[in-house]
Amino acid sequence: MGQLSEPEDGDTSMTSGTAKREFESTQGMSDACREGLRNLLIACADTKLLLGYHYGEWTFGPPELEAAIACCSLSQSELGHVRLLHAVLRNQFGDETEALVEQRLGSAFANISYLDEEIADWAGFVAANYVVDLAVTRLLHAMRDSTFAPLRVNVEKMLDEERYHVHHGQGWFRMLCGKNDECRAAAQRSLHEALQAVAQWFGPAGDPHDEALVAAGVKAKPNPEIFEDLVGDVTETAASLGVALTVEPAAFDGWDPATRRSDASGPNEEILQHLRGSKNAIFKLN
Amino acid sequence: MARTEVYEVFARKAHDEELKHVGSVNATDDELAKAYAWTLYDEENWIEMCVVPRKAVIPITHQGRLPLWGN
Repeated sequence: MGQLSEPEDGDTSMTSGTAKREFESTQGMSDACREGLRNLLIACADTKLLLGYHYGEWTFGPPELEAAIACCSLSQSELGHVRLLHAVLRNQFGDETEALVEQRLGSAFANISYLDEEIADWAGFVAANYVVDLAVTRLLHAMRDSTFAPLRVNVEKMLDEERYHVHHGQGWFRMLCGKNDECRAAAQRSLHEALQAVAQWFGPAGDPHDEALVAAGVKAKPNPEIFEDLVGDVTETAASLGVALTVEPAAFDGWDPATRRSDASGPNEEILQHLRGSKNAIFKLN
Repeated sequence: MARTEVYEVFARKAHDEELKHVGSVNATDDELAKAYAWTLYDEENWIEMCVVPRKAVIPITHQGRLPLWGN
């Protein structure tokens, strides 16, 4: 895949060591594992929901027609992934989509915070497409051999589609870095901001939920390790384009594993209303 | 600044089908061409899709001219 730097097959293999117990449902999981899994699925679904919203919004406004069409397609696939993840949450945890999307406060959402506000410009969009999208993909990749079968059977389809999301985000990052100093600086600034938000989302080392998921084989690696791999890939690509990226250590004081944040922020109300169709609630069919 | 090039897109739906020309995209490099082809021509469940820079296609007939025997 050239410089796409996708994890090699087997990179997250769980075949070494003793065989882990297979889970056909959440029955038999420890409380920490079960709670951690639900939090993680909601965090992935929330991020994909917001990505779907922003990709949809950027169907109009990109600098190239092909990119506009790509944004529309990326939006559709993200929203499709949300449906898959919500189905797992409904079947395994009894979480209804209505409750997850329509009835939660913004401060209860667990999306990567970079997506909380409208994205100001194309460089900002590229950072979301490249780094924020890739963060969730990396996490899902760490669950492709998961002992939790209901998720595992859906992961491969999502990863197949995500391949093209990375091509698009990384391809445009390269383009911007090669265009001129102004574009390179904007890309660098946005990517740095996105990486900081991603660092917060992955959470601190030693999170008990995260450790329980890895111990049960639901996930191959702890989140901080997945984040390090992601940073390694992105900084390498950036360095090859003459861009130095730095990531400051995230502050995890008061970090809440349910929202994956240290504060009570969330997507802004206008975005939530828009993606929920709140202004058109009276036209709902049921 | 990279220049935009035309890439021809080929795809097939089954192993026993030949690759067919399904369209073209404009892109500045191979990576974006792949992303654009996949997102623009995603109406079918392709088992194989590829892009070829138009400049890499070697014409056999002269553009705008019929071969001597006509067709």
